Amino acid sequence: MTTMPLSRAMAAENAAARPAPPAPSRFVRTRQQLFASPGAGVVTVVAALALAAILWPAIRWALLDAVWYAPEGAAACAQPGAGACWAVIAEKYAVILFGNYPYDEQWRGMLIVGVWIFWALLSALRFVPVRIRLAGWALIFVGSILLMGGGVFGLTPVGTDKWGGLPLTFLIFGGTVAGGLPLAVALALGRRSRLPILAALCTGIIEFTRGVPLLVVLFFAALILPLFLPPELNVNKLVRAEIGMIVFFAAYAAEAIRGGLQSLPNGQDEAAKALGLSYVLRLRKVILPQAIAAALPSLFNDIVRAFKNTTFFSILGLFDVLGATKIALQDPEWIRYTTEGYLFIFALYFVFGSGLSLYGRALERAHLTRLRKAGK
Amino acid sequence: MEVKAVSVSGLNKWFGQHHVLRDVSFSLAKGEKIVLCGPSGSGKSTLIRCLNGLESFAEGEVAVAGAILSQSPASLRQIRQMTGMVFQHFNLFPHLTVLENLTLGPVSGRREPQQQANRRALELLERVRLGDQARKYPGQLSGGQQQRVAIARTLMMRPQVILFDEPTSALDPEMVHEVLDVMEELAREGQSMIVVTHEMGFARNVADLVIFMDAGAIVETAPPLTFFSRPATERARMFVRQIGHDAHLEGVAVRE
Repeated sequence: MTTMPLSRAMAAENAAARPAPPAPSRFVRTRQQLFASPGAGVVTVVAALALAAILWPAIRWALLDAVWYAPEGAAACAQPGAGACWAVIAEKYAVILFGNYPYDEQWRGMLIVGVWIFWALLSALRFVPVRIRLAGWALIFVGSILLMGGGVFGLTPVGTDKWGGLPLTFLIFGGTVAGGLPLAVALALGRRSRLPILAALCTGIIEFTRGVPLLVVLFFAALILPLFLPPELNVNKLVRAEIGMIVFFAAYAAEAIRGGLQSLPNGQDEAAKALGLSYVLRLRKVILPQAIAAALPSLFNDIVRAFKNTTFFSILGLFDVLGATKIALQDPEWIRYTTEGYLFIFALYFVFGSGLSLYGRALERAHLTRLRKAGK
Repeated sequence: MEVKAVSVSGLNKWFGQHHVLRDVSFSLAKGEKIVLCGPSGSGKSTLIRCLNGLESFAEGEVAVAGAILSQSPASLRQIRQMTGMVFQHFNLFPHLTVLENLTLGPVSGRREPQQQANRRALELLERVRLGDQARKYPGQLSGGQQQRVAIARTLMMRPQVILFDEPTSALDPEMVHEVLDVMEELAREGQSMIVVTHEMGFARNVADLVIFMDAGAIVETAPPLTFFSRPATERARMFVRQIGHDAHLEGVAVRE
């Protein structure tokens, strides 16, 4: 005997598709979020008051009462009731941005900074093909070194001990990423290699470098290494410190890329093998594009950190932006306004650092759009 | 004697102490189709992955179109360029468009001009009924569509033989037939192939020979009609009954 089930279901009476009911307006949704319950309302009000209490004096100091321009000297800033003394920037910007670089030749530094920012913005737009972007960067990098150093095309030679400021910061950073990324890829592949000695060597380099502070790496490269090297191998301090930066960056980036490599399903390499592609082609066309895309979030972590790490060069007596600012603020007349000077540097790093982050996120988004609804 | 599309003799393979392929020998004549079946873990997939060097083996000899497989990179590349493979999970390159998936092998691996490769790719996509999907990324296609792209990608290399490793077992039931239709069409056109599958209808329609494996060894080989209606061994009888039962549940007609 079959019994009728007690469960019930009904066929839809009106199954035609229709538009979704209207969503509440943004104002309504925001109000719901801010005042979801009496407790949430109290938190919202208290937090808003606290924010205002902090922001209002900050705005008064930094904007309303600030002294923007003081052609007569620091006295203008010393008046009672005066806020931030931004005049110190107007007075010292040449030293802050270009360090000890000879004053008459500072147009070179200006040109370099302008071209770098221009090309960075252009690179952030999708319509420039990747090949042209990279070729442009290579050209700009080499051009910047020639322009800074002089001695060609009738430019006065300027020794690297005189290089400084923002152009130096850009060059250190550019060199770190340009030299570090290929090294990172090589280290990551080496660490996963089936050749035991190569794998051990790469693992050793990565773990050793990650185990010591950047400062130690830089001191070693810049100050201790020359004691052991024969004099004819003794390249200049900037180059030695830069090599230290590159290795340090590569050790971290290698781990990010290794993570990307591990996230790839084995089937990708197998499918490329089944097509008869060589190891190099499999890496170039199938493995690395996907592994690096997967590693982008942590890779950009390392890239932003590499930009901030350029400040360590000031400790070695090389004048990146931070080092240059220190010199600029030693002037006894303006020495009371170092806070403003450092805030300016703070803002400068914030603009470049978050610009890099934004660019990294845009790259990630482009990659994710491509893989949307990924089949596996 | 005519050169075989594939010939395998005395193949033995171990995973550690586990003997996974035991003295496997068979050959595939040009233009013929072999269906490999057997319970899971019987070594079917391992066997066809040995044929294009995705797995290595300890003893025995594998030759594709007369070329003997060794583990040197040059030999592996040569064999793989003549041997297509279609995977259970499609393994399309998700960062490339459908068209780029198809042309990567010929253009990068064999230096075929891009224009010519594009033209051939579009023709092949037309053949697998995906002519309008060339610019899409794999992630935008259904499983059945992805598998048909994978078949077209393999055909781009003009392989001597195509190895299918359970090509329909990761598909939703309603997409299985669109892939099988394409495979049957290829078979009718005289493409040599070795197919690991449990699709009895496909085996009946297409296979010249069914090879039944169990525990790493070939247990029985027979033409499909004989194999499915009068299996010679008790092990094969149990297997046929089992998949016949499954096929019946899925609504595929089973002839008694």
